[in-house]
Amino acid sequence: MAMTLPDLQDWRFSVDFEGIAWAVIDRRGESMNSLGRGPTEELGKIVTAVEEAAMRGEVKGLVLTSGKESSFIAGADIREFESFDTEAKVTEVVKQTLELINRLDRLPVTVVAAIHGYCLGGGLELALACDWRIADCEEVTRLGFPEVKLGIFPGLNGTVRAIEAAGPMDAMTAMLTGRMLRPAAAKAMGLVDQLVPTRHSLRWAARKAVLQKRRSKGAPWWKRLMLKQPVRSVLAKQMRAKTAEKVREEHYPAPFRLIDLFERYGDDPVRMKLAETEMFTPLMASDTSQNLRRVFKLSEMLKAEAPKDGFKPRKVHVIGAGTMGGDIAAWCVVQGMQASLQDLDEAQIKKALSRAKGLFTRHLRTPLAVETAMERLIADPAGKQIKHADVVIEAIVEKLDVKQALFLKLEKEVKPGAVLATNTSSLRLEDIAKPLADPGRLVGLHFFNPVAQLPLVEVVRGERTREEEVRKACAFVTAINKLPLIVKSVPGFLVNRVLAPYMMEAVRCYQQGAPREKIDQAALKFGMPMGPLELMDMVGLDIANHVGKELQLAPKDGNVLETLVRQGKLGKKTGEGFYVWEQGKPKREDLAYDQAELERLGRELVQPMLDEAERALKDRVVANADHVDAGVIFGTGFAPFRGGPLHYRRMEQQAPRAAAA
Amino acid sequence: MTQYGEPKGIMAEASMRRVAVLGGSRIPFCRSHTAYAELTNLDMLTAALGGLVDRFALHGTHVDEVVGGAVVTHAKDWNLAREAVIGSALAPTTPAITMMQACGTSLQAALGLAAKIATGQIESGIALGSDTTSDAPLVFQRKFAQRLVKMSRARGFGPKAATFKGFIPGELAPQPPSTSEPRTGLSMGEHCELMAKEWGITREAQDLLAYESHQKAAAAYDEGFMDDLVVPCAGVFRDNNIREDISLEKMAELKPAFDRSGSGTITAGNSSPLTDGAATVLLASEEWAEKRGLPVQAYLTLGRTSAVDFVQGEGLLMAPTVAVSELLQQAGLTLQDFDYYEIHEAFAAQVLATLKAWESEDYCRRRLGRDAALGPIDRARLNVKGSSIAFGHPFAATGARILAVLAKLLHNRDGQRGLISICTAGGMGVAAILEGANRD
Repeated sequence: MAMTLPDLQDWRFSVDFEGIAWAVIDRRGESMNSLGRGPTEELGKIVTAVEEAAMRGEVKGLVLTSGKESSFIAGADIREFESFDTEAKVTEVVKQTLELINRLDRLPVTVVAAIHGYCLGGGLELALACDWRIADCEEVTRLGFPEVKLGIFPGLNGTVRAIEAAGPMDAMTAMLTGRMLRPAAAKAMGLVDQLVPTRHSLRWAARKAVLQKRRSKGAPWWKRLMLKQPVRSVLAKQMRAKTAEKVREEHYPAPFRLIDLFERYGDDPVRMKLAETEMFTPLMASDTSQNLRRVFKLSEMLKAEAPKDGFKPRKVHVIGAGTMGGDIAAWCVVQGMQASLQDLDEAQIKKALSRAKGLFTRHLRTPLAVETAMERLIADPAGKQIKHADVVIEAIVEKLDVKQALFLKLEKEVKPGAVLATNTSSLRLEDIAKPLADPGRLVGLHFFNPVAQLPLVEVVRGERTREEEVRKACAFVTAINKLPLIVKSVPGFLVNRVLAPYMMEAVRCYQQGAPREKIDQAALKFGMPMGPLELMDMVGLDIANHVGKELQLAPKDGNVLETLVRQGKLGKKTGEGFYVWEQGKPKREDLAYDQAELERLGRELVQPMLDEAERALKDRVVANADHVDAGVIFGTGFAPFRGGPLHYRRMEQQAPRAAAA
Repeated sequence: MTQYGEPKGIMAEASMRRVAVLGGSRIPFCRSHTAYAELTNLDMLTAALGGLVDRFALHGTHVDEVVGGAVVTHAKDWNLAREAVIGSALAPTTPAITMMQACGTSLQAALGLAAKIATGQIESGIALGSDTTSDAPLVFQRKFAQRLVKMSRARGFGPKAATFKGFIPGELAPQPPSTSEPRTGLSMGEHCELMAKEWGITREAQDLLAYESHQKAAAAYDEGFMDDLVVPCAGVFRDNNIREDISLEKMAELKPAFDRSGSGTITAGNSSPLTDGAATVLLASEEWAEKRGLPVQAYLTLGRTSAVDFVQGEGLLMAPTVAVSELLQQAGLTLQDFDYYEIHEAFAAQVLATLKAWESEDYCRRRLGRDAALGPIDRARLNVKGSSIAFGHPFAATGARILAVLAKLLHNRDGQRGLISICTAGGMGVAAILEGANRD
């Protein structure tokens, strides 16, 4: 009875002597499984084979599982999205895939998804079309719908099936937040029917499920009650309000369209399926989605700067326990490393440790994990851990002779192969490295404040820095779950260089009489995560002023920044800057401005940023235009749905009106 | 993947082969109810094995036998060693044997493997051990457990109810595992107090030995000696029992833990703590090691297990004196022929009593059947990287920890020879000799 399909590339298929068909996705030449054209077509052949065998009574059930270490199916193959620029093209592909998934759904035998590793997006939609879902509880196993982050929502009838499985509240929350769920959470919601402890048990649990003809019961009646009106509209209203707290509908329409879909058709699966496709298509073809897909690819591009194997840092030593140094060490600990923190001033270390505890409490799941993390963060005033460290980062005062002396000493103490890095932003890397016996060893690691929140780290390549050291530094950055951007050693590197003219433009507008609220609102209208004046208050006006002068951007006469600094109004840290700050929030007057006017002003504010991005590209501060865009998006929060400053500019030039949407 | 050696014919005719110790890997040891409070023996053993696999690039490799176990263990962990192998990256064809000899477990496992390697039965083996007192099994008392069994076998409500005749609520109290000796009802510490008194071991001498153990262990981490021996687990990077800031004054303030009459000398400070952890060590034939390009750190040349009649009053933890004496006799060596002594520190008093017994002509003649005392050892060669008082003592893991440390010492320093002795519950002792690989 043994049956196989020999010509498959991305799947393995066989039927065993008990009559169970096994379809194992294991995409050739890929480290992760994704659903693209190839695997989808092959799955079609598999479904056909099972349909036919089931008619002959030769197959009792089908198990879908994966041959990869860390993914079931991590989503659709985003590389193929490139071609989805018109609605017609989207419709064609979606239709074919929908048909396949519906055929899978209708198979007369039991279909089981046995899930190990990432099961995301289209992968989860496929799993939801199965009769029974089993996940293991290993650390790499995660389920979720990340679609909203790409400007779309599930488009393979996943909206309908997720609601059927988990009920409206849980399913919509999962789809609206895009959160990755641990197996236990997915089980609690109903997205998964059964858990097994390790991947070794998956095969056997799946076999039993087929033999017992298990079928998911779907969400319980009390969850389904919420699908009925008027409850559904009340729910939808709450969801809209919650989503609006996070993003603006004009910039990120996808979650709002999803809520519309739910409100209109939530209790009618048949019509909801049709409407899902109808509403999905324009989203997929929109500029917003194309740009967000671009942002995703840019993040993958930065991750790829780190070599896959070789350098595996585990121990970090940070010198200088100020805000920056302390936060870098604490972040490394959150990411599982051991960090030691050195400072002449032990009180500084103590302060950093107590700040770290706050960070651990927010990021780690159990008190035990917090306690363990505290033990991993070592107060090391004498620098005893230097010789054990894989990465040593300096974050002390910005004084050349002090830094030179420190690195001279460090060079002799660190172990061979360890990364030697400075977090300087205002001194030349080449100058610091000059006295070293091996100046090619020093790299820059420029973190941004607050370390825990900003995803980018600039990896600074000095004129003499060896490529190998740059790559090791990138490996360290990805190991702490940040994105490395390799930059040339020039003033302001990329991010501050591009950000500063924008801030100074805001100062100029303010000096010319524009209200601070209007300036900040205009920036938000453009899509910046925070207004420039509020941002400067957060960073500290002394620092902003310093950077402005350093880059020779400060207005020559009557600089309001200078005045505020002289008055001791340094922003949030002193309680007043452009705004008066109370309880960590700026006091704002609630004024409404004309939207068109805000749009004009927002565009005006970012213009210097776009120009500077162009100049940075010309000066080859980073490798190419994509790197400029990636750095500015991840380093400044530049409106991700616009795809980056240079991309935005190109689009605007191609179609002046369309891009300003 | 299985590699068979050349056909050997009848075993007795095969010449003995040397047994190489290639090195070990363990997870940091943690005091019970701290960082590993939520881990099981299987979790820890799998993590330690993972470290060994990474260190020696054993991914997908078939190892001929994996042997070891845990002392404090759940009934469901009856196949612990094999389950750890399945959860590891070793080839799934690797068989494993779960065995146990209290604190001697992983050293005994290594001796068994060594015998099979020496006689050509296998080419490679991993000895391992794990223990946790954080995840100790709580079971129903026997009386109540038997009621449950009877009830499950009874048919009908009446007969089922009848099995509960005479039930008292006290039966429901769960029974924790006990570290007391079943025959004497005394705890290990109480037994050791008796030994301290018999051999006149002072509080000061015990505290000093414990103090030095912490100092040496801290120095071992500081100099990087532990770097390749320990892999992080559950976010922990180093043993959490080592106190480099410890002082003799502070230790002197601690109250005796077992004999509170005023004459007790054993405290929490000069005993090994209850500890969670796991350790592994890789053994092989020289051919196997060479084929994989793995340097031989040391050779495991001889082992000996002995027991004392503690039920009739001998010191419970004095068996190593016998095991070592018999081992020396077999090897034709004197006690002074070693560069390193690794004497497991269950208690400082037990180490000191052992040393004193070897120095006692009376004891050596009467109990060990020798003509003269074995004599003193050079204390500077004793536990040079610290031992169980500092690192902690997850019972079954300690043997593998010591094997890895001693093998590395011999490898690093071109030392010639090292002696291991471990005392165990039930009045037993396990001893072994490691020889340097660079002696030729």
